[in-house]
Amino acid sequence: MNKVLLGLVLGAVLGAIDGATAWFTPAVRFEIMAIIFYSTIKGLIAGVLIGFFARKVNSLPLGILFGLAVGALLAFAVALMPDPTGQHYYVQIIVPGSLVGLIVGYATQRYGAAPATTPATR
Amino acid sequence: MKFLSDRALERLRDATDLPDLSGTHYRLLERIARGGMGVVFTAEDERLQRRVALKVLDLPGAAGDLANRLIREARVLARLEHPGIVPVHDVGTLADGRVFYTMKFVEGHRLDQHIESVASTPDRLRIFLRICDAVAFAHARGVLHRDLKPANIMVGPFGEVLVMDWGLAKILREKNRIEARVVDPGQTIVEKQNRSFESDGALQFSAITQHGMVMGTPGYMSPEQARGDVEHLDARSDIFSLGALLRFLLTGNPEAALAPSATRMDKSLAAICAKASATLPSGRYSNVSELALDVSRYLDGLAVAAHQETVFEKVGRFYRRYRFFILLIAAYLAMRVLILIFMRR
Amino acid sequence: MIQEEFPSGGDRFPPTRRSVIEAVRSIDAEERESALEALCAAYWRPVYKYIRLRWNRAPDAAQDLTQGFFVELLERELLDKFDAKKSRLRTYLRLCVDSFVMNEDKAGRRQKRGGNIPHVALDFSAAEEELGATVIDPTKIASPESLEEFFEKEWVRGLFTLAVEELRELCIARERERTFHLFEAYDLQGNEKISYEQLSNEYGIPLTDVTNALAWARREFRKIALERLRELCGSEEEFHREARVAFGWDAK
Repeated sequence: MNKVLLGLVLGAVLGAIDGATAWFTPAVRFEIMAIIFYSTIKGLIAGVLIGFFARKVNSLPLGILFGLAVGALLAFAVALMPDPTGQHYYVQIIVPGSLVGLIVGYATQRYGAAPATTPATR
Repeated sequence: MKFLSDRALERLRDATDLPDLSGTHYRLLERIARGGMGVVFTAEDERLQRRVALKVLDLPGAAGDLANRLIREARVLARLEHPGIVPVHDVGTLADGRVFYTMKFVEGHRLDQHIESVASTPDRLRIFLRICDAVAFAHARGVLHRDLKPANIMVGPFGEVLVMDWGLAKILREKNRIEARVVDPGQTIVEKQNRSFESDGALQFSAITQHGMVMGTPGYMSPEQARGDVEHLDARSDIFSLGALLRFLLTGNPEAALAPSATRMDKSLAAICAKASATLPSGRYSNVSELALDVSRYLDGLAVAAHQETVFEKVGRFYRRYRFFILLIAAYLAMRVLILIFMRR
Repeated sequence: MIQEEFPSGGDRFPPTRRSVIEAVRSIDAEERESALEALCAAYWRPVYKYIRLRWNRAPDAAQDLTQGFFVELLERELLDKFDAKKSRLRTYLRLCVDSFVMNEDKAGRRQKRGGNIPHVALDFSAAEEELGATVIDPTKIASPESLEEFFEKEWVRGLFTLAVEELRELCIARERERTFHLFEAYDLQGNEKISYEQLSNEYGIPLTDVTNALAWARREFRKIALERLRELCGSEEEFHREARVAFGWDAK
């Protein structure tokens, strides 16, 4: 599986899981489907961006940092939106979102198949 | 007649051992090794100003069995241009009648001496894969090595691996099948029959090995080779030797079973060794590429064709291959639980 | 042919002489005698020294026994029983010597045998001096392995001595006496400290001449020694084996 596709799939799956854990917050439980949907989209976008980065830059530390940054940024954008009561959930959204970005960054660097022109390394 | 002291005898032996390089463009440097049929020296190629290895027969006579064998070895090497096979530069006859050939001088250590400095199994396996590359290339050119063993593998200072000593090589695809002669007492194990004589137009040989002539090295020699069944030797005979070589790389002994305390991962290596060195050729890998592929798959943490994994072994291998990733996911989930607990408070 | 493809850089190897094993069985008396001479020339020294050491005979008795042995070798056609596939010629001869000495003891014969082997000069006094110059541990000589080793070493010494003599004659015939002197000085005298430069200065010749002369002499010596050895072997395999022993190839 190439790096972009791996990032897309992993980002979407982890994004969906990330969104689903919102069920444990009763205040937002009623809109769980929307949360899962938008979290999946966020994860997908992050995954594609991180996958493209991994395609261009072959460096595990940089890939992890980039994933962390993209995940944090997108999660921050989501965390800026308050719930109907006006409460923000910065920690609950940004920390897991950053970690998802980190995981996708690692996976795309470590497991994604490089493009054909890139020489294989052992 | 003057009495020759013991010291004089030694000096005469040393002096007459040196090849007479007059009439050639080589300058003798030093002796480096002695093989079954001759000596290997280093020499300076004065035309190209480079150091070469010069292999010269002990006995003179360009038309004898040994000479034919040495020249044949040079010609086999000349047709095998591969980074893992030592290249031959020149072949000829010296002023003293001895046949010689020159080849690339390889600085480094024999594999049996080098292996102590290679601690990790993956590094040893990578060396093995490079040996497989060279042997697979030779097989593709219709040449069997027939004497693969650690002493015939050199490892250079930059990690280059070279397969040496093709003196027992067999060419499979000549118009008239040509087989190596057994004249070398250092390598011959058993002689069961007298030699018969035949010659080929392109490569002169004075004898063809008939059924019953044995050559090779115990421990690395396939059963069919040990029986002297030379007519039925094929690439799988070298694969047997590669299996023994792999065993040596992993245990230090070509015939040892892998350690009883082997982990599930080592079971794959044990299975690869067992398949490569199966008693019957039909039970072995059919070519070197298959063997190399299995070793590569092992290095990549994938299932190997030689070993049928149980479900537990598959799970274990999957875990080991993706261990860090799995731990990251676990960390993520743990972090999620912590946040939840924190929120509930 | 490989010889045509790879022409020799120097002298061609001379044609192989017939093996003494075959020649000594010839119906031609002259050929038989010639073969016996060659055999005797190569083996009388080791046989004499062996009898002296192994059987502890006085020089006079050892001389008689040595000459008697070679006469018996011819008269009883002992070489007819030799099988090259089963043993080396020198091992066979050594065992024949043992049998001969034991039989002579049993028969109580002490009569002096008349004359030398035709055309072979047996310089027993020189051999006796050589024995004195050889360092032998009497306590170790008794074991079969050490006897075989001793006989082997003396056989090599005898072979090389003959080859050196033949080289000397060749150098004289080709007016290369200086070449032989250089060879003698550098390779025969066992002086570790001598150098090519010293010889060049001593003889007033360029260094390259010393190098070339020694190379030529060694090449010829090797050729002669191998040719002599080939005559004394019963088969090609034996020749290869004995060449390895004579030139110490397995020990290096």
